[in-house]
Amino acid sequence: MTEPRHIPLKLPLLARVEGEGTLELRVHDGKIEDLRLRIFEPPRLFEKFLEGRDYHEVPDMVARICGICPVAYQMSAVHAIESLFGVKPTKWIRAMRRVMYCGEWIQSHSLHIHMLSAPDFLGFTGVVEMANRYPDEVRRGLKLQALGNDLIRLLGARSVHPVGACVGGFFRAPKQQEIDVLLEKLRIALPEAEDLVRWTASLEFPADEQPFTCVALRHPDEYPMNEGRLVSTQGLNIRADQFEEHFTEQQVPYSTALHCLLEGKPYLVGPLARMNLNLDRLPASVRDLVSSLGVRFPSRNMHHSIVARAIEVVIAMREAIRLLDSHEGSQAPSVDVTPRKGVGAGCTEAPRGILWHRYEIDAMGKIIRARIVPPTSQNQKRIEDDLRQSLESFGMSQREEDLRHHGERVIRNYDPCISCATHFLDLRINRRGP
Amino acid sequence: MKNRVLIIGIGSPFGDDRLGWVAADALRGSDVMRAAPIGSIEISILDRPGSLLPMHWRNTDCVILVDAVRSGALPGTRHRLDADELTGAGMACSSHGFGVAAAVELARALGEMPTRLMLRGIETDPSSMGMTLSPAVAAALPTFCADIAREALYLASNCPPAFASMA
Repeated sequence: MTEPRHIPLKLPLLARVEGEGTLELRVHDGKIEDLRLRIFEPPRLFEKFLEGRDYHEVPDMVARICGICPVAYQMSAVHAIESLFGVKPTKWIRAMRRVMYCGEWIQSHSLHIHMLSAPDFLGFTGVVEMANRYPDEVRRGLKLQALGNDLIRLLGARSVHPVGACVGGFFRAPKQQEIDVLLEKLRIALPEAEDLVRWTASLEFPADEQPFTCVALRHPDEYPMNEGRLVSTQGLNIRADQFEEHFTEQQVPYSTALHCLLEGKPYLVGPLARMNLNLDRLPASVRDLVSSLGVRFPSRNMHHSIVARAIEVVIAMREAIRLLDSHEGSQAPSVDVTPRKGVGAGCTEAPRGILWHRYEIDAMGKIIRARIVPPTSQNQKRIEDDLRQSLESFGMSQREEDLRHHGERVIRNYDPCISCATHFLDLRINRRGP
Repeated sequence: MKNRVLIIGIGSPFGDDRLGWVAADALRGSDVMRAAPIGSIEISILDRPGSLLPMHWRNTDCVILVDAVRSGALPGTRHRLDADELTGAGMACSSHGFGVAAAVELARALGEMPTRLMLRGIETDPSSMGMTLSPAVAAALPTFCADIAREALYLASNCPPAFASMA
């Protein structure tokens, strides 16, 4: 009789993943006994920083949470606060918010596809090595990423931690000349983005179907970005302010990031979940492209996320062109805002998935309490489940180096942002005496 | 063809990470730079450009990157690194943490390096906070800027064209 084999496997510092985390496995006779995606990035404490601040400071503060998806943080925040104050943004403000969000999707997805994900599919250690063999593809990625940044800058004044958005709209409206320059760039780059979709769909995908619940926003007639109800593949259909009735965050001892669960179970957010739940909301101009691909949606294969991301780049570019093309000059950049006491919630689709904000505000407009649930903490449990299944299928007798690469590849499909997710510190103080 | 020498101040608004911006501003207003032939030197400021950094120096002959440095040296120490010393950082970068060395490696792989590229930096004070430079970095700034101005003027007359061999 052979002795049971216990293999402690520790993969220090996940590569090409933002933030600091490790994957720890305990293996018994070829089966994973324990698996922990351990995140030790220091807590960010942003929710505490927001307490006592004026409502109008929130968009600029939350933009600092992430350098890649600051628009998502700003948009979830302004929608949450405006829902409480009863603010009704004009059609123009709504359109320009969507344009700004399109910019973020384009830059974030282009960056992830080329810098992080594609090297996995092509067998390179990173984008630098990939650029030697695929220089045109990498250049295309950089060009699209820069274009996304240009769109964010059009409305946000700068692409990193933009400052243009406010509760009520924007601080300024872009000039028609700036819009015309960007429209021209978008039109020229659109065929390249469509090529990108076909290129990602031509990659070799491991056959790895898994059961999982998808969660995303759903809008009556648009591919979701800033607005919509929260829906799932299991029948959930709620308003953003009902989030806490169904979703709970749990602290696990090995991670500084919370695990968010839907009715106690893991779920997926992000491009693949959005596509799976919103196929009938694809713009008509994108449908032919999607139906011409070898990859089919809805998909249960997480490796297809790269294709979903590329499709969303095209969706965002077409949306930005459509909205900017119908732009009419001399618009008021914002509407008046009057603070109101109460609680407001907002949810928008960050590049990595739904980002939920809730603010309790006093009559003077000061933040009493804030709660932010980023996509990465929502995907964490799903990532662990995926790792367990993927690594066991891969074979636990594989070399440690191969297991590490496989594990990292699985994690990268989710494009996790660990820095965004670690924002919570459970502080317990036991005081004695008078 | 763009300017022969491009000085890029890289940074963010925070503490000593402002160095690239502050130095670029100081250079713009300096007498030495005003003495340069018109159009021979361009100065720009970038906010954490990440992997897009190489796009900013396309068709430029010589590039001087100005950035805050953390190497463990004493705060205020001035650094001067040539492009070939900026290696080894590009393989495992994240989307958020794509630094200057990784961007230079990417440019090298794409064949988009200028004829000369160097990094000029000052060692930061790890405790620097807020919206101003630390005393150690601020004290090193005048000599640092004078060095860069001198080098930029020299390169403006002596840097071989980056794409001459491709003509």
